[in-house]
Amino acid sequence: MLVLGGIIFLHVSTIILLLVATIDNAWWVTDTVSTDLWGTWEFQSSEWHYFNLKTSPNEFHQSVQASAVLACIFSILALFVFVAQLFTLPKGQRFTFTGILQLISCLCVMIAASVYTAELHGEKGGYGHAYILAWISFVLTFLLALTYLILRKKSE
Amino acid sequence: MLAVLVSIVSLGIVAQQCQAIVIYTGWERHALVGSDIRLSCSFFSWRWTSEEVTFSWTYRPDGSRDSISIFHYTGGEAYLDNKGPFKDRLEFVGNPGRRDGSILIKNLDFNDNGTFTCDAKNPPDIVGRPSSVRLLVFEKVPIQAGVITGAIIGVVLGLLVLVVVIYYLMRFLVARRVFSLNVSKHGKKKKEGSQQRQGPAPPADPSKVKAAASEKKKQESRKDKK
Repeated sequence: MLVLGGIIFLHVSTIILLLVATIDNAWWVTDTVSTDLWGTWEFQSSEWHYFNLKTSPNEFHQSVQASAVLACIFSILALFVFVAQLFTLPKGQRFTFTGILQLISCLCVMIAASVYTAELHGEKGGYGHAYILAWISFVLTFLLALTYLILRKKSE
Repeated sequence: MLAVLVSIVSLGIVAQQCQAIVIYTGWERHALVGSDIRLSCSFFSWRWTSEEVTFSWTYRPDGSRDSISIFHYTGGEAYLDNKGPFKDRLEFVGNPGRRDGSILIKNLDFNDNGTFTCDAKNPPDIVGRPSSVRLLVFEKVPIQAGVITGAIIGVVLGLLVLVVVIYYLMRFLVARRVFSLNVSKHGKKKKEGSQQRQGPAPPADPSKVKAAASEKKKQESRKDKK
């Protein structure tokens, strides 16, 4: 029971991290600019203004957006499938479907973060907290996927 | 009783005086070089649309701090820019009676990038904030934000649904065939016959074979448990 509770807690917190990384706008931060996947906050005349991405979002930006959203979707799907498989899976079997979905989610986060790192440098400044959360959730999803692929349902 | 009535009426009067005119334009407009664009402007006001309603448009080029007035509608007449950057390119396509003060700019150029501000007044309701729309002129239409994103998400999810459906379809079909083989005990002859028929048939998918094998294993384990 403890193991089950722990795994579900970990999965839910991973989903939350993924959502925060996708939605919160702090992938690239400088003194006056805070950018994320969807738009830019610029500090002009002592007020923060929100702009759409300036150079009309090119293909790399859009693929990062798509991968991040897909990672969230797959992770949420994996949670539902895990709960379903808890009831329907024959005893002694592995949670393969859940593990596969979680693995795809891990892959998507990796694609999103890697493409962002490779292509979308600003001039100065540093990576923001949403970017760091994306990499952390990559590690967590990978561990969870391994857990699901190795775990077996309790048999009598 | 009288006090309540008086307070309600006074509230109404005060509330009306607190309302302002609200002007609506777009936020951003994109257009191609050489094309025409319609900049829409409308307003909301608690008063009826008066005869002396006025619309005025001003233009501020990108990177400049000065605005220039390019359009004014008052007293039932529209006055277009005849000296400035939009000479002979403006047309009034709005309907002041319907609170629409839209203008049409023809034959756009890169110099037309900038902010257009619409200010409408509906006497006696004149207190309001002008609204601005930003015009961006492109050489070719950029891929709209989100088209590629939506396409990637849709394709991947569609593939997932397809794979799941095919997987369950395969299991269902194989289950049916196995079921029809082991219908009854005296169908053993049938089983052998159909197995011989299945022999020369090319082995279809390894997944089908696996599924069949797992089905047989499951049935055997069920029999064992019994």
